[in-house]
Amino acid sequence: MAALTAKDFDAIKTSVQDGAKNWIRVGMSTCGIAAGAGKIYRALEEEISRQGQSVSLRTCGCLGMCYAEPLVEVCIEGLPRVVYCRVTEDCAREIVRGHVMGRKLLQDYILAMHYEEAFS
Amino acid sequence: MSDKTVLLQDTTAGIATGTNDFFGVFKAALRESNLADNVRLVRVADMGVYNQGVVMTILPENITYANVEVHDIKRIIGVTLKHGNPVKDLLYQPKFRQMRLVLKNCGRLDPGSIDDYIATDGYRALLKAVEQKTPEDVIAELKNSGLRGRGGGGYSTGLKWQFTREAEGETKYVICNADEGDPGAYMDRSVLEGNPHSVIEGMLLAGYAIGSSQGFFYIRAEYPLAIERVQKALDQARDRGLLGANILGSAFSMDIEIRLGAGAFVCGEETALIASIEGKRGTPVPRPPYPSVRGLWGMPTCINNVETLANVAPIILHGADWFAGIGTSSSKGTKVFALTGKVRNSGLVEVPMGTTLRDIVFDIGGGIASGKKFKAVQTGGPSGGVIPEKYLDTPVDYDTLQKLGSIMGSGGMIVMDEDDCMVDIAKFYIKFCVEESCGKCAPCRIGGYQILHILEGITQGRGTLQDLDRLILIARAMKMGSLCGLGQTAANPVISTLTYFEDEYREHIVNRRCPARKCKALLQFSIIRHQCKKCGLCARACPENAITGDREHGYTIDTDKCIHCGMCFDVCKFSAVERI
Amino acid sequence: MIQAMINRKPVSVPEGTTILEAARQVQVKIPTLCHHPDLPPTAACGICIVRLEGTKRMLRACCTPIEDGMKIITHDPEIVEVRRTVLELILSNHPNDCLKCGRNQSCELQNLAADFGIREELFEKFIGNIPKDDSTNAFVIEPDKCIHCGRCIEICQEIQGVWALSFLGRGFNSRFAPAAGQKMGDSPCVVCGQCASHCPTGAIFEKDDTLKVWQELQNPDTFCVVQIAPVVRVAIGEAFGMPPGTNTTGKLYTVLRRLGFNAVFDTTFAADVTINEEATEFVERFVHGKGPLPLITSCCPSWVIYLEKQVPDMVDYFSSCKSPQQISGLLTKTYYAEKMGIDLSKIVVVSIMPCTSKKTELSRTEEMFASGYQDVDYSLTTRELARMIKQTGKDFVNLPDSEPDHMLGEYSGAGVIFGTTGGVMEAALRSAYSFITG
Repeated sequence: MAALTAKDFDAIKTSVQDGAKNWIRVGMSTCGIAAGAGKIYRALEEEISRQGQSVSLRTCGCLGMCYAEPLVEVCIEGLPRVVYCRVTEDCAREIVRGHVMGRKLLQDYILAMHYEEAFS
Repeated sequence: MSDKTVLLQDTTAGIATGTNDFFGVFKAALRESNLADNVRLVRVADMGVYNQGVVMTILPENITYANVEVHDIKRIIGVTLKHGNPVKDLLYQPKFRQMRLVLKNCGRLDPGSIDDYIATDGYRALLKAVEQKTPEDVIAELKNSGLRGRGGGGYSTGLKWQFTREAEGETKYVICNADEGDPGAYMDRSVLEGNPHSVIEGMLLAGYAIGSSQGFFYIRAEYPLAIERVQKALDQARDRGLLGANILGSAFSMDIEIRLGAGAFVCGEETALIASIEGKRGTPVPRPPYPSVRGLWGMPTCINNVETLANVAPIILHGADWFAGIGTSSSKGTKVFALTGKVRNSGLVEVPMGTTLRDIVFDIGGGIASGKKFKAVQTGGPSGGVIPEKYLDTPVDYDTLQKLGSIMGSGGMIVMDEDDCMVDIAKFYIKFCVEESCGKCAPCRIGGYQILHILEGITQGRGTLQDLDRLILIARAMKMGSLCGLGQTAANPVISTLTYFEDEYREHIVNRRCPARKCKALLQFSIIRHQCKKCGLCARACPENAITGDREHGYTIDTDKCIHCGMCFDVCKFSAVERI
Repeated sequence: MIQAMINRKPVSVPEGTTILEAARQVQVKIPTLCHHPDLPPTAACGICIVRLEGTKRMLRACCTPIEDGMKIITHDPEIVEVRRTVLELILSNHPNDCLKCGRNQSCELQNLAADFGIREELFEKFIGNIPKDDSTNAFVIEPDKCIHCGRCIEICQEIQGVWALSFLGRGFNSRFAPAAGQKMGDSPCVVCGQCASHCPTGAIFEKDDTLKVWQELQNPDTFCVVQIAPVVRVAIGEAFGMPPGTNTTGKLYTVLRRLGFNAVFDTTFAADVTINEEATEFVERFVHGKGPLPLITSCCPSWVIYLEKQVPDMVDYFSSCKSPQQISGLLTKTYYAEKMGIDLSKIVVVSIMPCTSKKTELSRTEEMFASGYQDVDYSLTTRELARMIKQTGKDFVNLPDSEPDHMLGEYSGAGVIFGTTGGVMEAALRSAYSFITG
C-alpha cells in the first residue's frame, strides 16, 4: 500500500468516525479469551447472521475490568452505548434479539464504571 | 421530551424476595407519571460505587445520584427526568476515579486495525515531531514532562534519552522491554495486546530523539497473543510507510523487529536482556558502563518499558505541561496497576500518581471479596514488600512506598486477607527468585536458597528463633553483594513481612501454629463432637487411617498419625472437622 | 587523570583504572576471590564490594572504573560483615574437605576463610554430589568444589578459543561442564590445563601420578629413567621459596638421583634431535617440494589436539616429527637400552614436564609405542615433583649441583630455547639454514 502522508491521517479519521453507527465490540485480549470471549464472539456472529442484522461486529483489547470478562460493548443509534459484563452465550443471543432488534437494554448485565479521561 | 435512560444499581437485592424492591417502585412511579415509554429503567450489574446505598446514573445528561431513598423518586422524576436538571443534594461526586491515559484506547479500538489507531490521533505525535521538532526538542519535552521509567526503576526517561543521544557510537538502538516477569503483573501484556501501535509510536519517537534507526521489541515467549498482535501491527506500519525509510516524508528512517525471551525472569534486567538478544547466556554484567553508553553489541542503547513508551506520544501531542499537571511533585502522570488477589474487582486500574492505596483497593477494587478482613497489600512483585492496614492512606508514587520498605515496582498489587499467611507469602516470593536466579553471583545464588530453606523449615514447624537472625544476615548480604536487581531485592518480601508481621513468624516458631491456617504442616485437625453426624466419610477419606470410630460412638483423629493433608476437612459436609 | 577519594585519602589515577587498582595507592588490598589478573573480571563472588561514601550504594571494586570526584569507603564494620556472610554462604555450598584436597595450603578460598576467621558453620550445608570427571587422564574435575568464579570458562572460551566449558543450568543448580553435560574427554577439550591453573580451589586439579612413580622406584626389578623438560629447571624453585625464575638445573639432577632414579637425562638433548628432524623435513618440503608448505609444528599435544578437532583441514601441513618427550623416551628404550644391555621390559621412563597436557600424549596414538612398549610411562608436572621432594624431606635449596648422565644427556643451545616462545622456530630455521648453506 502507499505510504501515509499527513493528509491521509485526516481522511482516515473521518472515514472511521463516519463508519458503522451500529456496532458490537467484544474484548479479546488474554483476560477475555480466558473467560470464553471466543465463544461469545461466535455466538454473536451466528445470531447476527441468522437474524439478518447489519451491525458491525468487531474485537478490541482489555478494558481493565478483567474480573467481569467476557465484556461486550454495544452501540446502537438512538440508544446509550453500554458495556455488558460476564456475558454468556444465551446473553449474547439476547443482545442481538433484545438490544439490537428490540431496542431494549438488557437487565442485570451492564457495567457502568466512571472514568476520568486524561485527554480527549 | 427526548428519551432518557436510568442506570440503576439496586443494592437491596430484594429482587428475588420482592421486598424493598427499589426497581419495582421506581418502575411503578414512572408508569404513574406516564414516563414509562420515554424513560428506560435498567438495572446494572455493577456501577463501581460501593457502600453508597442505591446509586443511579441518568443519561444522556450523565448525572449520578447516590444514597437514593424511595421518597426521593418523586423529585428525581420531576426535576431531572422531566426537565433535565440535577437534584443537588443527591448528586454523587466520586471522591476518586480512574484516569485513562495509557489505557485510554485499550478496549476502544481494534488492535488489528491501524486505521482505528490513526482515527484516535495515532501517529500524529510522530508527524508533529518529524515536521516541527528537532530531536533535542523532543528530549526537552520528555524531560520537562517528568516521565519516569514505569518498569520500576523510575529513572527520568528524558535524561536516559539524552545520555543515549550524547553517547558515542556509530549505531544506536532502542529496545522495548516487554519481558514483564513479576508474578501477577500483566499491564504491559494488555497494552501490547490492546493497543500495540501506541508502543510502536513511542519507540519511533525514541529513535527519532536519540538518533537510532533500529529498534527491538523483547517480548517474553509466554505472551504469544501479544507477540502476534505486535507483529501484525509492525507489518501494517511498515506497509503504510511508518516503518522503514523516510518516514512520513522526512529524513528519519527506522525499523523495528521482535526478539523473544525464553523463560527467564532475570532477562528483564537490562544487561541480561542485552546478553539474551546477543545470543549469549542471559546473565547480567556490572554497570557502569550503562547501556546508554555501551549496550547492545557495544553500542549506545536506550531500553524503555512498555508503559513508559505508551506515555510518549500523548506527551508530544498534548505537551509536557499537561502531563506534569497530573500526579505528584516527584512522580508525574498516571500508573497502571494490576490489582489482583482477594479483592472484589480484580483487573487493571490506571490512576494518577498520588492516589492512596485505600482508594485503589477499596474504592476502585471494591474491597475484600467475600467480606473477610484486609491484612496487607503486596506491591512491586518479588522486589517489593507488604503494606499493612495502618499505612493504607499512603499516596502511591516512586518514593513513598520505598519508605515503608516496599516499592511501586512495575505495578503489581496483590491484596491479601486474613486467610493469607505472611510467612507463606515470603516463602512464595523467595522461591520464585531462587528458581529465576541466573546463578552467577554467590550472594543471590546461595543466599536465596538458604533463605528458602529456612522459611520452609519455619512453615513446617522446624523453625528456631535463631533463624530470624540468620534471615536478616543473609538479606543484608544479598542486598549489598548481589550483582543485579534480582538478587539485591529478592529478600525484600522477607524483610517487609518480618518487619510488620514478626508476631506471625514467632507464632510459627514458638507455638508451631499458623494463625492464617495456611501452613498445612502446622494445622491440627480435630472432630467437633456435637457437630459430628457419625457418617464416617472422613475416616474413609483419610490416607493414613488416622481416624477411628464407628457410627454409634462417632469418630476421632489420632494426631500422631495425622499428616495434616486436610482431606477430612475437605470432605466433611457438616463442618464437623475443626482446623486450628 | 582521575581525582577521587578512597577512605578519605586522595588518589590520582589514569582514566579506566578500577577501584581495586586505585586502592593500592592508599595501601589497601581489597579482598577478592573470583578476580584474576590474567582475565577480565566476571564480578561473580561479591567479596570485593565497597561503598559510595555516605550512601547505601555498593560497587564491585574489581570491575568498576573509578570516576572523578568519587568518594569510596573500602571497609567499615557493615562491609566486613557482609563479606563474611558471603564467604559463609559460599562455604555452605562447598565440601570443605581441605585435608584431602590437592589445593590444601594453596587454595584461595581457604586463604579467605582463614583471613575472615571462620569458626562455625552458620548455615546448613548443601553439596551437589555431582560425580567426579577424570576422563581426560590429565586432570580431575570435582564440580562440588566449584565456587562459580567463572575463570575456567572465561579462559577456555575467550582466551584459548576452545569453548569446551560453559555454565549449564541455572541458579542454584548451575554448574560448569562441557556442552550437554558430556564428559570432558568427549568434549572439544584440548587438555591444555589452563582451567586447572586458573581455578582458585580444587575443583579442577591435575591427576596425581606420584604414587605410581613411587611404586616403580621401590620395585628392585625396574630400571627407572627420568627426563627433565627445559622449563622445569626455572620453575620448580618457586615451590621451595626461591624467587621465580631461579635456575636450579644442577640441583634437579642431584635430587632426582637421590630420589632413586637410575639414570637422569635431559629432554633438551631430545629437543636437539627434534630440531634435526624438523629442519630436515623443512628442507625436504622447501627445497625438494616433498610436501605442502607452510610446515606447521608444535611439540605441545594440546596444540595438536586443537588442530585435529578445530582445524582438521590443516592436518596435512603438520610436521611428522615427534615431540622431544617422546623422542627421548623412544631413544631410551631402543638405543640406550641396547647400548647398556638393559632388558626393555624393565625400563620405566618418567618425564618431568611443566604441564598436564604431556600426560595425554603418552598413549595418544600407536606411534607412542614405537619401541614395542609405551615409550614414556609416566609424565609428572612440576608441582608433583615438588611434592615428591617434600615428602622425602630433602632440603632442595641447599643441594649441591651435579651433572646428568651422558649419552642422551648432553645438549646444545637449540634445545634449551624450546623453553621460550618462538624457540622451536628459531632453532629449526637456524638449522635448516645451516643444512642448506652448509
